[in-house]
Amino acid sequence: MQSGRFDSVGVDVVAYGAFILAILLLPLFLDDPFWLNRIAKYLVYGMLGVAIALSWGYAGILNLGQGLFFGMGAYMVAMSLKLQSSTSLQQGSDSPVPDFMLWNAQPGAPTELCCISPSSFLWLPFQAQWFGAVMALVVPVVIALALSSAIFRLRVSGVYVAIITLASVLLVRLLIVDAQPLTNGFNGLTDLGWLTVAGFEFDPYLTQTYYIVAVSLSLVLVLTRVLVGTRAGLILQSTRDDPNRARYLGFDVAAYQIFFFTVSAGIAGFAGMLYVIAAEFASPSFMDLAFSITMVVWAAVGGRSSLLGACIGAILINTIEATASESEMFQEAWRAIIGLIFILVVLFLPRGLAGVGQDLTARLIGMARRPSAAPDRQASRDAAE
Amino acid sequence: MTTSRRNFLKQSSAYGAAAALAPGLFVNAAQAADEIEVGILFSLTGGLSIVEKSLADATLMAIEEINQSGGVMGKMIKPILEDGASDPKTYNEKASKLVIRDRVPSVFGSYTSASRKAVLPVFEKRNGLYFYPTYYEGFECSKNVVYTGAVPNQQLSNFIPWIINTLGKKKFFIVGSNYIYPREMSKVSKILIEQNGGEWVDDQYLELGHSEWGAMVNKIKESGCDVVLSNVVGDSVIAFYREFKNQGLTHDVLPICATVTSEIEIAAMGAEFAVGSYTSFPYFQAIDTERNKAFIERYRAFVNDPAAVTHHAMESSYFQVFLWKQAVEAAGGELTTDAIREGVKGQVFEAPNGTVTVDPENLHTYLTPRIAQWGEDGQGTIIDAYPEPVRPLPYVAYGETAENLFCASAGLDSSKL
Amino acid sequence: MADILFIGLSLSSILLLIALGLSITYGAMGVINMAHGELVMIGAYTAVLAGIYLNLNLFLSLPLAFATSAALGLLIERLVIRRLYGRIIDTLLATWGVAILLQQAIRLEFGLSFFDIHIQGLGTGLQNISVPAFLTQPFDFAGMTIQPYRSFIILVTLLLTLLTWFLFYRTRIGMQVRAIMRNPQIAAACGIDVRRVSALTFAYGSGLAGVAGVLLAGFKTVQPDMGTSVVVDGFLVVVVGGVGSLIGTIFASLLLGQINGIIAVLSNDILARAVVFGVVIVLIMWRPKGLFSFRGR
Repeated sequence: MQSGRFDSVGVDVVAYGAFILAILLLPLFLDDPFWLNRIAKYLVYGMLGVAIALSWGYAGILNLGQGLFFGMGAYMVAMSLKLQSSTSLQQGSDSPVPDFMLWNAQPGAPTELCCISPSSFLWLPFQAQWFGAVMALVVPVVIALALSSAIFRLRVSGVYVAIITLASVLLVRLLIVDAQPLTNGFNGLTDLGWLTVAGFEFDPYLTQTYYIVAVSLSLVLVLTRVLVGTRAGLILQSTRDDPNRARYLGFDVAAYQIFFFTVSAGIAGFAGMLYVIAAEFASPSFMDLAFSITMVVWAAVGGRSSLLGACIGAILINTIEATASESEMFQEAWRAIIGLIFILVVLFLPRGLAGVGQDLTARLIGMARRPSAAPDRQASRDAAE
Repeated sequence: MTTSRRNFLKQSSAYGAAAALAPGLFVNAAQAADEIEVGILFSLTGGLSIVEKSLADATLMAIEEINQSGGVMGKMIKPILEDGASDPKTYNEKASKLVIRDRVPSVFGSYTSASRKAVLPVFEKRNGLYFYPTYYEGFECSKNVVYTGAVPNQQLSNFIPWIINTLGKKKFFIVGSNYIYPREMSKVSKILIEQNGGEWVDDQYLELGHSEWGAMVNKIKESGCDVVLSNVVGDSVIAFYREFKNQGLTHDVLPICATVTSEIEIAAMGAEFAVGSYTSFPYFQAIDTERNKAFIERYRAFVNDPAAVTHHAMESSYFQVFLWKQAVEAAGGELTTDAIREGVKGQVFEAPNGTVTVDPENLHTYLTPRIAQWGEDGQGTIIDAYPEPVRPLPYVAYGETAENLFCASAGLDSSKL
Repeated sequence: MADILFIGLSLSSILLLIALGLSITYGAMGVINMAHGELVMIGAYTAVLAGIYLNLNLFLSLPLAFATSAALGLLIERLVIRRLYGRIIDTLLATWGVAILLQQAIRLEFGLSFFDIHIQGLGTGLQNISVPAFLTQPFDFAGMTIQPYRSFIILVTLLLTLLTWFLFYRTRIGMQVRAIMRNPQIAAACGIDVRRVSALTFAYGSGLAGVAGVLLAGFKTVQPDMGTSVVVDGFLVVVVGGVGSLIGTIFASLLLGQINGIIAVLSNDILARAVVFGVVIVLIMWRPKGLFSFRGR
């Protein structure tokens, strides 16, 4: 409905290119480690926006439990980094034990990672940092695959998918908080070491760390944009618009839905991993319902059916939040302002900022060609469903 | 004449709304020579703001009092107040703003352990200094945190023996919110219960924020216990005490002895639900000294609420600013973390609860454990108090004693764990 | 055994109390109202303020809270929801914004706190309402200990359910609502004022939230974000029961409440909640349209 309606590939190349160039060049103009780190965190949120737009905008699947995959990615890599932390016991030996395991253990338990608490052996492979990084992708993908197979093979659709994902994230959050000897419960995993590659430590406030995030986001943006332009992407969009017709045409609708749900979850897991690298902790609050809903709102503000729009929406909202909450005037009112923005955008900009951008470019292109080529605004309101 | 908190904030904001509203991409201008900036980091929005706002207010009040009496070595303190928004992610982000961008020499903040844990990497890796005013579970030995709230031995070492010996209750039902603080309190309690010849019949947990107590109170009733030790936190407390009464349990037969129930929760549940129950804390609003009464007066004027209550974490938020001031003075005005840390060691201050001293070894604070019984008016009557402040022992559950410290100025000796 | 069932029944009645309003706004009108919890909260605050300033007791607060929340619901419908009918996900997002706004309004005392004006009963702090003594004193009856407050909640829930059933199935406006549920276009073509009926229906659902707020205030805390946790449970009940089915909502709340109660007593509350979430996920996968569903549209 949106991209593809008019000559959008050219426009998208320019828009995506400009955005990627901007985030890659930013450190040249910004000599402030704090803001570089903060923007790195917001780029991670931007990646979450991309994940939401991919499943919601392109597949019509609203995932209200994206925090589950973000959190899983975060915890997996945080486990590895925790084992490298200087606070872990017996650090330097070949089997360090996270400090919190000791004070969650039964009195008299051996201080060995294998057996300090009943399932602490699960941590053993995470001594290798690459294992944590790989698991940060594998675990969200496997969970998403299992969950979405059940959902879409049973032809659950629409708002029911949203409710199932919502219940899932709440369930997992509950279990993680309860499994305190294994996960440090409500406090999450903190006092982490830094990501180390070939002896280089990625201090979160270094420009190098910013580049890990910025390059990752650029890759995710390009790859997802290419993906939705492929045949598979087009078929997927047809399943969103009319699943039954797509079914009659002989497409395995569920397979496409599962694939895109899982890719979206994988991106969220990847984002979780990057967030831990930038923020140095993982917490069950990543799986709070409010966070999962907030992600969806970022995407709605930026434009649910535009990958880049959703990404920018996330970055923009967070920047507004930060500036408003740090200003004298709005310190206590900033939340209300954010709430108001949400309402106004949903009411008056159903296609988000990307919709505004698309209308403008369409009008410009149209003016260059013939005056009446602007796309039908009304039609794209259906994007809501 | 005291200014109220909001006016004070307005006055003290040297760079007004215009500068703060700008995109913020500029590095903070060098601070004026006659000012010292400090960070304040509490949740002003979100669920935890219920308590944390009072902590922020107490901190601001202390700063105002110091400024009115001439500041720190002639310099005014300028607070930079940040909102943790009841979310560890926001806490982490704001902490890095304060430490890395604003480069404040010290930050006062955090109520929950989760938020402290989320900001800790910023302070430890960037060598900042955090003043943490809340009672917590212990097991921390950071060079970058000054802890002014109670640790388990300062809440339990008098409480459990008192329950068993004075109250004559021997069968404990331990109940708490499901996170590390209640679980650690429970661990320490069990050691003390067994040492004193009591027993515990059950040890149960509920989700944080859980407010449906029907099943749990039913369990308490069936368990045959004669005292309930509650480590329940936050708004769950209110639902708990109300359900307790609704199921016909009374505190004269089966008292709730709590480690977290403070004046705030009592006021919120309605005093009649807590009458006769007990709490152990180093500070109560009911402490009957001129200093404390004056403190309550000033606080009520400051927040412009004649019914405002004062409580332990809030009182710590207040006096820790004075400890910080003394530390800066001891450091000769040198505003580095290392200098302030050295300066704060051994500082003594006459707080509303009595004399407090920062332990030079583990940077925790000597406090006086007290036990209060709640009355009809929502105030405690202090019925037992330690004769002197007790040394903080953050690793008491692993056998730490005042003679054998695990956490010393050199750091944690993990071989002792 | 009886007291375990009573705990479950009490949990069920609270779930139903929340879900009743939702089953109307969501079930009948296709609006996912994330601010439903905040309407519950507003009801609770109405009782708090009525207690402080008008000296009204719990019982007299009930109609007042109904009126306040209903009026607020009407306003939300006018300003926001009216523009979003048929865009179900957008109703979720916009009302999420409404929820944030309402919470902040209470916290900032409608903005008065900026002018240093403090209203007793509002603000960030915790509030409470006083419950008449005879509702907190349990008594023995036929060998069982009766908890009057919980029994009172069950009773009120029962009455409200009957009232709702009566309104929907025995009155003219109820018929109109059901007609709109099935097909708004045809309903409009038959001369039903769809806008007016929808607005009234939404206001009624919101009013029920207000009543729920007063009852919850009697044994929980009153605070600005008290609504967020209850609204999720309410949605799960409505969806499991079957959208638009009153019977389904009743059945689902009985089922989930009893599961929660029994497991909480036999094992613990954390496991009980986990099992409830698990059961919800499985039930929705198994019967996405709900246990009791009608074929509409």
